[in-house]
Amino acid sequence: MVLTSDNTSRRVMTLYMGTGLALTALMMFAGLMLRASQAGWMPMSPGQFYAVLTLHGAVVIVALMLCGMGGLWILMRRLTSLSASTALIAYACIAAGAAAVIAATLFGGFAGLYTFLAPLPFYGSWPYWSTGAFLIGMSLITIGWMAWCMQMLGAVLRAYGGALGALAWDFVWHRKAFDASGRPLPPPEAFPALMAGFDGMLAGMSAMLLGVALIVRWIDARVLINPLWAKNLTYFFAHTYANLIIYMLAALIYVGLPYATGRKYHTSTALVVGWWCSMLLTLTNYFHHLYMDFVQPGSFQYLGELSSYLSAVPVTVVTIFSALMLVWRSGMKWTLGAIFMYTGLIGWVVGGIGAEIDATVPFNTHLHNTLWVPAHFHTYLVGGCVLFAVGWVFLCLESRSIRRTGTLMRWAVGLLTFGGMAVFLMGFYCAGAYGAPRRYAIEPPPGPELAKIASIGATVMIIGFALVFAEGVRLRFGYPDGDATMRIGQEVEA
Amino acid sequence: MSVAVKLLVMFLVLANAAIAIFLAVAYSTHHPVREQHDVPQRGYSIRGRWFLVLVLCLIASFAASIPFYPYMSATSALGPARKVPVIAEQYAFIMPSRLPVGKAIIFEVTSRDVNHDFGIYNPQGHLIAQVQAMPDYTNYLRVIFHEPGQYTARCLEYCGIGHAIMAKTFTVGDK
Ligand code: HEM
Ligand SMILES: [Cu+2]
Repeated sequence: MVLTSDNTSRRVMTLYMGTGLALTALMMFAGLMLRASQAGWMPMSPGQFYAVLTLHGAVVIVALMLCGMGGLWILMRRLTSLSASTALIAYACIAAGAAAVIAATLFGGFAGLYTFLAPLPFYGSWPYWSTGAFLIGMSLITIGWMAWCMQMLGAVLRAYGGALGALAWDFVWHRKAFDASGRPLPPPEAFPALMAGFDGMLAGMSAMLLGVALIVRWIDARVLINPLWAKNLTYFFAHTYANLIIYMLAALIYVGLPYATGRKYHTSTALVVGWWCSMLLTLTNYFHHLYMDFVQPGSFQYLGELSSYLSAVPVTVVTIFSALMLVWRSGMKWTLGAIFMYTGLIGWVVGGIGAEIDATVPFNTHLHNTLWVPAHFHTYLVGGCVLFAVGWVFLCLESRSIRRTGTLMRWAVGLLTFGGMAVFLMGFYCAGAYGAPRRYAIEPPPGPELAKIASIGATVMIIGFALVFAEGVRLRFGYPDGDATMRIGQEVEA
Repeated sequence: MSVAVKLLVMFLVLANAAIAIFLAVAYSTHHPVREQHDVPQRGYSIRGRWFLVLVLCLIASFAASIPFYPYMSATSALGPARKVPVIAEQYAFIMPSRLPVGKAIIFEVTSRDVNHDFGIYNPQGHLIAQVQAMPDYTNYLRVIFHEPGQYTARCLEYCGIGHAIMAKTFTVGDK
């Protein structure tokens, strides 16, 4: 059994999460530029605006994916056999792909956005090479992602005795026989790993199918791509990626919160069944991106709404509810790590509420492609995913450092980060409710006024995160000379 | 109440209810500590009830929303209504600039180049209806304008760097 104190594991995690968080931080500044430009405070030409928007969207998704991949990797390495060199190859593919994406947008001005809908990439005002560089970059990222998924899926299947074992099938249906057999029961964090591996492979395959078709179209303009199929494939992978990010980071809660509360968290029937549902529902949710395509087969629209609704059930009944039960009267110390993990759950739920409203077809008529969409996903990405990743890093730092974060610092961080975030997000929600379109370099009223308020909120939030960074560095320099083993995630049942 | 206010109120009520629960649980950590094995009994029974309530509410909302779906069957698209073709292209809508008030209109929306979206804003600036404009396909959007005045169609699908200026105003009624 490998512990989280194992050096190789920790280096892989640091590489993935360090890159991910650094890119996220950079992209927060890019995001602020976009919002300030919509406020009229930072003049950008539409060409620049959309190139930066493409960069911001594509890079943050990859950055948070890296955080999830690195976090899940170290957790699963304790329980299964994962080779570090495979993880490094996957990382190298993703890094090369991200570099191509950055070059295509910053130097090539590619502005087809990361949810590129065919045939837009070929009808742009940017140089033709940048379209190719972007598509090849995204394909490399997908190849790296699939390598990671395959590794993770393989490891989980091997460790728990095939698909049925990893799904804990017998544990649910034949409990007595399972207990008697003495086979290992997957711990909670193995389910996100299974889901990421399996759903991630499916999403990756559809991304590659589309990616290759687009690259061929880029080489030969006579190739025809059906736009409805292309849109379905785009959202099947883009939506699944975005969802998997938070489900992967949920694994960090499963280990982080028990550590912070000093309580235990075990696999239960509800947890297992919940993850089965999540694995399935995540694959059919994406239909809600095509509600306003009336030519989409009608049954998909119904299925999209029902499945989007139901996906709230496993998340709130299992993961969120169990997290609340862990914390309830646990006497948990509110260190920064604990605060971030816990607040991340709030961001997940609140973002989910925004999503469910938008996933209602009649409301979607008023909200589709308005700023409501960035409102809900910034809530769960910034207020959820980023906080889980940062919270995990802090739990790790706190478990090794002899320094402690003072009360004043915790209040300052809380007020600036969460206060700024609330203002920033409400700017998006209000504009969206009033129908202000998303992806507008110049917005109709009341867009610009709300963009001003939101930019101020975002600035405050960034100052809060800067404090967080400074505090993280301070904790890092507080490691004792001798023993500084990471104590988090050490109790694994071998 | 306008649709915008309704949506915001609904969101804020639900979001704040959720936040209140989180705050209450967070506050409980200042109360005397309970052993973990004391917590489950009540926790699980609350969880069971929450599960039932949530599933029932979701299914009820799903059922309640169905009558308001904007989709039309192929036959109803042929029904009696004024047919108005709308062709979207980078960065303009080709469509009539005057439309009747109080009459059923079926917009036949398509695109000549990339994906666009035909979003209709009423004279107060609220988004009242929309449909995607996809090349190779025609989407049928049925609208009745109850109110005369200046309406604006805006593109709601990113279509290139002129996306934000892609708009067309049209007059409803004979003002
Ligand atoms: C201070 C922080 C941030 C600010 C001010 C900001 C601002 C923005 C703005 C203005 C947009 C364009 C919205 C539109 O008009 O459609 C946007 C899009 C986006 N943002 Fe952020 N953002 C921030 C942080 C983040 C973070 C941390 C993430 C992810 C973790 C993120 C993910 C995205 C994504 C995926 C898009 C969509 C891009 C697209 O439409 O193609 N943002 N952001
Ligand atoms: Cu457009």
